[in-house]
Amino acid sequence: MVIECHGLTKEFRTYKKQPGFLGTLKSFFVREQILNRAVDHFDLLLEPGALVGLLGPNGAGKTTLMKMLTGIIVPSSGKMKVLGFTPSERKLQFRRKIALVMGQKNQLWWDIPAMDSFLLLQKYYEIADGDFKKRVGFLSEMLDVEKVLHIHVRKLSLGERMKLELMASLLHEPEVIFLDEPTIGLDLVAQKNIRDFLRVYQEERQTTILLTSHYMADVEALCSRIVLILGGKKRFDDSITKFSQILGREKFVTFTFERGVDQTSEIWKSHDPKWKFEGRQVELRIPEERLRELSATILNQYPVVDFHTEKMPIERVMSTLISNPHLL
Amino acid sequence: MSMIAFMAYKVNFFLIIIGPALVFFFIKYNLWSAIYSLKEGIQIQGYDFSEMINYQVWVLIVSLLSQGFFSSQLAEDIRLGRISSYLIYPFQFWQFHLASFLGFQTIQMAVAGFTILILFGSDLVQVPTWEILTSGLVMSFVVGLIWFSFQFLIGLSAFWLEETWVLRVILITVTQFLSGSILPLEFFPLWAKDLLSMTPFPYMTHVPVKIFMGAYEGSLPILVGILLLWLGIISLVCGLMWRSGLKRYSAAGM
Repeated sequence: MVIECHGLTKEFRTYKKQPGFLGTLKSFFVREQILNRAVDHFDLLLEPGALVGLLGPNGAGKTTLMKMLTGIIVPSSGKMKVLGFTPSERKLQFRRKIALVMGQKNQLWWDIPAMDSFLLLQKYYEIADGDFKKRVGFLSEMLDVEKVLHIHVRKLSLGERMKLELMASLLHEPEVIFLDEPTIGLDLVAQKNIRDFLRVYQEERQTTILLTSHYMADVEALCSRIVLILGGKKRFDDSITKFSQILGREKFVTFTFERGVDQTSEIWKSHDPKWKFEGRQVELRIPEERLRELSATILNQYPVVDFHTEKMPIERVMSTLISNPHLL
Repeated sequence: MSMIAFMAYKVNFFLIIIGPALVFFFIKYNLWSAIYSLKEGIQIQGYDFSEMINYQVWVLIVSLLSQGFFSSQLAEDIRLGRISSYLIYPFQFWQFHLASFLGFQTIQMAVAGFTILILFGSDLVQVPTWEILTSGLVMSFVVGLIWFSFQFLIGLSAFWLEETWVLRVILITVTQFLSGSILPLEFFPLWAKDLLSMTPFPYMTHVPVKIFMGAYEGSLPILVGILLLWLGIISLVCGLMWRSGLKRYSAAGM
């Protein structure tokens, strides 16, 4: 196993303070302590070459888990091994084998061109000149950033910066990559470019990747397995197909009609219809086994001009589970 | 990289690196001028006016050479969770800061060298021999390492404290007073000198100044040994604080 966690727990201690000067004075003598369990007895096994999506709402514990797996913070309890190392020991051999990319945090030096940062990283990771040139050439071509390597980082667009951040974290060819929201804030084209790059890179090198993202398009395009964390606890760990079926094996199909149709017909009633545009569009929840037959009936009997099944069922599953965790 | 960063803003560079030491020197020059003008030819604790100014000039040089580095950036980085990237890179955190300090010291050496050349042209200071100058420079470098480790230690206290500037001010004030930067240690009572000799403070200014003045009578190798011992003790405390602090580190804001 590349990553192995058992009962991993992280607790943070904070203190409550009443507002205002009196509150400050009071907290000087008596402070109410709050114990926040950010990650709670988390188990995780990742095989070599896996690309797993770690999902959860804000504050669920995803980043805390990433921080523990990379050795940035020390767990309160539990056991964990990454590539056979205990991350919190922060051995140099371990650090040479991992990479962490944070969409919200820069590791490139802001005031110098990316190439200068890369040269510094070459020294940090002791990469031979030949290998370094080869990797810079390969990655910059793949990410289409050859023209911006020598421009000050602060002058680049967010998309270009993110590509260069990715490049910086891959120069030492890590065996495990932790990607914490790598597409956050990017436009649709830039998101797609990053996703495409990651997919090709991972397929070619079989690098183990643990990815967190709030964009389900990232997860659907890249991950075959999903781990869901809610309130610090693992609530789901299985294939993306099973994840999309958590709420039942049903398809959400939208039909658009030429004109408004009769909304009182019996055909709609058992499929939880959601009507829009004065009866000119309806979304139905149809059991998988009835999809063909019911769609054919509707297409034959009504003036259908367009119909489609939902594009990303996992997005609906995610939003439903975040608001109703008891469904799991 | 740190050298480029330190020199990026010229006014800042002057204000932070050269300014305080020069201002402090001119205050002391005026103060001692006023004191010695009270009675002509007066000697205080064995120092006449020119010897006192000679002492104070070398205090300025030693402070430029060894006590200019501050750890405010480290404390802020810890508090704001900005050290996370450095925890992932394959080198030790102290190595990064030591490299930054060495970059800073290179600039300080140039500034101090320039100041020494100007002062050698004046009648404020007695020009030492090459041998004495070299001994003084080596000693100042080792003292600089001790100063750096003190600063690193204060920076690490940010794992526990919201603000660390108070500690830095205390360190500077205590060091200036107890190291002989304000008053030569000959002005202290014997019992205080004996007590101070068991701390690293006399070695921070008084002893290197005496070496530059050619007035140090002890053995230099033993002196380096004592300084390295203090360096070892402070580094050990830093190591313990680092290990303990990391357990508290939450990488906030990441």
